[in-house]
Amino acid sequence: MANPYLVVDNLTKVYERGQVLALRDLSFSVAKGEFLVVIGLSGSGKSTLLRCINRLIEPTRGRIWLDGTDVTRLSPARMRRVRRKIGMIFQQFNLVDRSTAIGNVLTGRLGYLPGWRALLGWFPKADREKALANLERVGLRDKAYVRVDQLSGGQRQRVGIARALMQDPDLLLADEPVSALDPATSHSVMQYLEQMNRQDGVTVIASLHFLSLARRYGTRIIALKDGQLVFDGPPTAIDNAKFKEIYGEDAEEVEVR
Amino acid sequence: MTGYPEGFVSPRPAWTTGRGLWEAVARRADRAGRYLAPFLLDVAGLAAFWILATYTYAWYVLGATAYLLVPWWVLLLGVVEGAIVWESFGRSWGQKVVGRELASGSGRPTASERLRYFVLWHAFGLTGIGFVTVPPLHERLSGLALARERPSSLAPVPWYRTSAGLFTAAFLGVTMAAALGVTLTWESVVRLFTQAGQSLDFWRALVRPDTSILLEAGRDMIVTVFMAVLATLFAVVVAVPLSFLAARNLMRGPIGRPIYTAVRGAMSIARSIEPIVWAIIFLVWVTALRSPFAGILALWVHSIADLVKLYAERLEAIDQGPIEAITATGAGRLSVLRYAIVPQIVNPYISFTLYRWDINIRMATVVGLVGGGGIGQRLINYIWGVQYRQAGMVMILIVLLVWAIDYLSARLRAKLA
Ligand SMILES: Nc1ncnc2c1ncn2[C@@H]1O[C@H](COP(=O)(O)OP(=O)(O)OP(=O)(O)O)[C@@H](O)[C@H]1O
Ligand SMILES: [Mg+2]
Repeated sequence: MANPYLVVDNLTKVYERGQVLALRDLSFSVAKGEFLVVIGLSGSGKSTLLRCINRLIEPTRGRIWLDGTDVTRLSPARMRRVRRKIGMIFQQFNLVDRSTAIGNVLTGRLGYLPGWRALLGWFPKADREKALANLERVGLRDKAYVRVDQLSGGQRQRVGIARALMQDPDLLLADEPVSALDPATSHSVMQYLEQMNRQDGVTVIASLHFLSLARRYGTRIIALKDGQLVFDGPPTAIDNAKFKEIYGEDAEEVEVR
Repeated sequence: MTGYPEGFVSPRPAWTTGRGLWEAVARRADRAGRYLAPFLLDVAGLAAFWILATYTYAWYVLGATAYLLVPWWVLLLGVVEGAIVWESFGRSWGQKVVGRELASGSGRPTASERLRYFVLWHAFGLTGIGFVTVPPLHERLSGLALARERPSSLAPVPWYRTSAGLFTAAFLGVTMAAALGVTLTWESVVRLFTQAGQSLDFWRALVRPDTSILLEAGRDMIVTVFMAVLATLFAVVVAVPLSFLAARNLMRGPIGRPIYTAVRGAMSIARSIEPIVWAIIFLVWVTALRSPFAGILALWVHSIADLVKLYAERLEAIDQGPIEAITATGAGRLSVLRYAIVPQIVNPYISFTLYRWDINIRMATVVGLVGGGGIGQRLINYIWGVQYRQAGMVMILIVLLVWAIDYLSARLRAKLA
């Protein structure tokens, strides 16, 4: 890795409220164009890690360099400019339920819009066309004006993907994007992420629960356990022994087909 | 925080800076409040119990009216000491209400820890000097702290096996006994039946309403509706911004929390004063100018307090997910408000407003009874003037109006749900 795109350097997060040490001195780097999968048991710190990268959560200590900028040092205003190039999708989709699909997708442009235009809801025509095009891309053109609370889980996640696409992201953070979906739908959603990664050159960091999905889509896997890095390598390098180390002695691998 | 390597916890700002001092004071006040709330509840509860019990005893046994039977300072000392004993050695009513319990670092508090806590609370808690340090002195020295209730895997203890449960039951019992003693004399019950004839004039007039006043009364009714509409609209204008200051989840930190507490406190005081009392206050204030203006002001104040509470509770229940997602797109704070919070609250806010408007129509009538203008004032004038046929007409109109508005607001709200 000659020129790493993202460098996480000794990242530590303490939740003072629960006195939980969620990440401990975590260090790794990601090259441009990688599809990095983060695995680990529930509570191992995956969500915390992803949210530290775009500072939805403030890291307690350590540095995160993104494309040569130390994001942990940025002022709120400059952090917002960085964020607009980082798309994010969520396990629970985090859509505005009372709004339509296109209404949700358009919010992906908010980082690019002057404040007063955003408040008036006055999106440029180009943005509206782009929103329709992105809905088309995820196969939801015909649902554009449907309220998202009337969509299925898989459809909602695709709206989430279209929202992230609106940002023209360089980096996509996906926090358990398919944990609320059935296996077939999971694959269709993962394939959109794969497509973004391959075609648009978006670097993807996704946390996943199923190792089979991680192996199928990841170009590299890191594993967390109690907030520490316990594995970093290609998908093929996770053998049975490694698996038990990550998930505990009693774990059995489950396939998602 | 123990157990973490050095440097893990960001240091607090120094005392000498303005912000540091403010934070330190706020933290101590927060700690003191944590102890004060259950203590005051227990003291008030025990005192109220004593007064009610004394009253009941005096009424039924001595056949007299008495409230204390002991000098007031004896009662005060008694309930304060009672509260301390209860809180130190048991699980008090006040502790239950605030959802806290005495906990020791090593598990269940031992008898000696409790005894130490009991003594130390007199010295440092009651006097207040213990709260100079964080954690307070009596906590440090006894090893016990008033911690948040832990979820327990044990089956809940039935109420009749807990002191707080028994206290509540006894309290309710005494209240009932005292209330019956105050309000229900045998003669009054008898009169309800034997003197029914006296109201016969009134009932007869009601079924023969005087329709000639229909026009004037109708005009007053419109005034009443307008009073309600104006009071509600002006209340919304004030209540919407205030509701954000009264939402716990939005007002965090050493600056936000005191604002939250102040707004919530002011609103609950304003709400606990009934509109009719507000009307009297404003009637005096605007120098007995008998007009709808005082009525509108009264409804306005009470509506603000009520709406802020309803709105803020809705804000506290919003889904954090969209906030997170919109923030992640690089949107500014106002955009997050506009796109993640507002869509979640618009409909509930409108719905609460309609509900309050519906209440205000009824309240506007009541407020009119004390001279706040509108149809209520007309009604009370007819009643004092023994013009029962006219009063009957007005009452029929009020019933129709309230019924219609009730129906309308319910239909609109069903649409919004
Ligand atoms: N806001 C918070 N306050 C206190 N502790 C928290 C908070 N959020 C997470 N934690 C704790 O931090 C640890 C890591 O949580 P995190 O959500 O990052 O795990 P995760 O790997 O994403 O788990 P899951 O697979 O269940 O989503 C957990 O022990 C959790 O209890
Ligand atoms: Mg998670």
